[in-house]
Amino acid sequence: MTFGDSLPFMRCVAMTQRKRPSSTQSSSQRRHTGNLVAQDEDDDATFTQPSTSQVQRGLEKLTPAQVDQKTAEVVQYFLVKDQKKMPVRRADLVKHVVKDYRNIYPEILKRAARTFDQVFGLKLVEIDPKNKMYILVNNLETPDKASPVRSPSNPKMGLLLAILSVIFMKGGVVRENLIWNTLRKLRVDPGEKHEEFGDVRKMVTDEFVRQRYLEYVRIPHTEPIEHEFRWGQRADAEVSKAKILEFMGELHEQDPKTWTQQYRQAHSLPNSSQASTSSSSQR
Amino acid sequence: MCLWLNFEKNCVATLGICTNKTSSILTTEAVNRPFLYPVSKTCFRSRTSARVKMKRSKGGGDEEAPRHNGSAGRRKADQQQSDGDEGGSDIGPADLQDDDNDQGLRREIRSKYRDLISSVQQNREDMLSPSNNKLTEVLEEANKLFKDVRQAREAALDAQLLVVATDLGKEKASQLFSEGTAFDPTAFAEHLLSFMGLNRLEDDEDEQQNTANGYLPQDAWHRLARRAECCFRTAPSFHYMMGSFYAEPPPPKQRIERQRKAPSKEAKRIMPTQLKKMEESQQEATEKEVERILGYLKSYYQDDPTSPISYYEFVIDPSSFSRTVENIFHTSFLIRDGLARMYLDEEKLPCIAPVEEGEVEAGGSTSRKQCILSISPKIWKELIDAFDIKDSIIRPPNTQND
Repeated sequence: MTFGDSLPFMRCVAMTQRKRPSSTQSSSQRRHTGNLVAQDEDDDATFTQPSTSQVQRGLEKLTPAQVDQKTAEVVQYFLVKDQKKMPVRRADLVKHVVKDYRNIYPEILKRAARTFDQVFGLKLVEIDPKNKMYILVNNLETPDKASPVRSPSNPKMGLLLAILSVIFMKGGVVRENLIWNTLRKLRVDPGEKHEEFGDVRKMVTDEFVRQRYLEYVRIPHTEPIEHEFRWGQRADAEVSKAKILEFMGELHEQDPKTWTQQYRQAHSLPNSSQASTSSSSQR
Repeated sequence: MCLWLNFEKNCVATLGICTNKTSSILTTEAVNRPFLYPVSKTCFRSRTSARVKMKRSKGGGDEEAPRHNGSAGRRKADQQQSDGDEGGSDIGPADLQDDDNDQGLRREIRSKYRDLISSVQQNREDMLSPSNNKLTEVLEEANKLFKDVRQAREAALDAQLLVVATDLGKEKASQLFSEGTAFDPTAFAEHLLSFMGLNRLEDDEDEQQNTANGYLPQDAWHRLARRAECCFRTAPSFHYMMGSFYAEPPPPKQRIERQRKAPSKEAKRIMPTQLKKMEESQQEATEKEVERILGYLKSYYQDDPTSPISYYEFVIDPSSFSRTVENIFHTSFLIRDGLARMYLDEEKLPCIAPVEEGEVEAGGSTSRKQCILSISPKIWKELIDAFDIKDSIIRPPNTQND
């Protein structure tokens, strides 16, 4: 009957809640990549990473020209898939491109990564070690100011920047209502069709999530159902927190250092180290 | 944590422990566990009320939960008035029934709770702002309502209100806890609009935040996108220069073919009438031209069979670049048909000479070599200067005196 009784109860509630995030994350991922993963899960499950000796043997049976050709096909597949900024799944890659050469798959991927680096100045990044997903990221230094070349810009990136900034400045997670309200203040109403973006809600919760710029996760125990937004894996790899903080400083006419927590977070880790590079990590 | 102490001044003791729990939860957990709060608060709350009821039945009147004592005190008075039969400290079932039976009061309490809940949810952003005490006011209002709570339904609504309020309280607390400047999304939105080039109208009447004044220029989002390029390391998209790559088979091609067929049929119809006007078709014109050039080559060669004819001197027309190109084009036919040959002299300069009849069989066993010539106006001028070409060997067709 004392307050002491409630302590163990609260503690075990706390414990169970602590375990939740990983499962919600993977279940949400499963949900988002749901339909697409289902057919290829078998393929990926049966694909076992060939050992180095197997790769060696495989290479011996093929001519260099054949290996180069296959590498070039993989490179082209990635480049085309990257047009829509959708991540490439290893299962798809093996099924549609590598096919019979799957016994030398690690070698092909290594060569493709080298080609991306040396020829295109791009980096092949594994954003999801569990599901084996890859994206392409620019390896060159980002310019300090806007490029003088007037190439057509994608307005969606502007909206994305606004959303990512809010999430970052708010500590990394926000409830979806905060994002919708902020967008409304920016004259973008998720309930209405926007003249530039069309179906805003779909773009933010579906397209950006599939591109891995955002994560849209359901908060358990909420009624009515609410979700929260986080940075996606592609955002972790592509977007510089320090540069965002710089932009905030410009907008608010403040020194970025005044946001001490965010400043610390932006400058503690080298920015694109959160997603490991493919050449060294397990494929 | 002063937030909690403020609104429950009369319950410092009871909430003291809860505060400790919440603060420890705040610091050790990630700041994303809103549901922990309601669990701890509701179970705490129901337990205190249960405790108070139990104690009252035992006969003691504790001061531990002064708020609940307020209602307990009132009950005692009611008991004495209405129910003289029951023991002073016992809560008999009859006593409960009197208040419980007042359905109107129950409904009123429930609806007030619902109003409070919706007001917190609707005006969330407003309440979050550190400049006002609206949250405190809501909780004080809830306190007052709770005094009349008798049934589980109302208590459940009270618990729900607490869920929403504590969530808001947690966010406000995190604003206090965070070092450095707080981040206000509203201000951020305003700054962004200015950055995107919002043209604010000169109305001084609409100073409220809610009314949208001004309009955004067309390229507002493009401006932001361009600024975003500096923060993103996006890989540039790969596109074929000739057009984008579509994975689907192209049905439009059939339409194009049909369109192409239509004009060609018309062209055929037109052709016969035009042929009467044209003297020669293009093919014949070329052949004629080639023969004419062969004639020039032969006559030039026969003038002096020993001296080699420089290719450049032969084809270049110093007065017209386009005629030079035509000459090169026609000369290539001579070489293709084996009527002329090109060779390099001692200085490795190209020379041309007609082929004697019988010297080389046309299409013979000798390996044919091909080369591609390119010439630009700049090179053409350089050649004219280098070879000091004053006149063209091949007379232009219009000035020909045949």
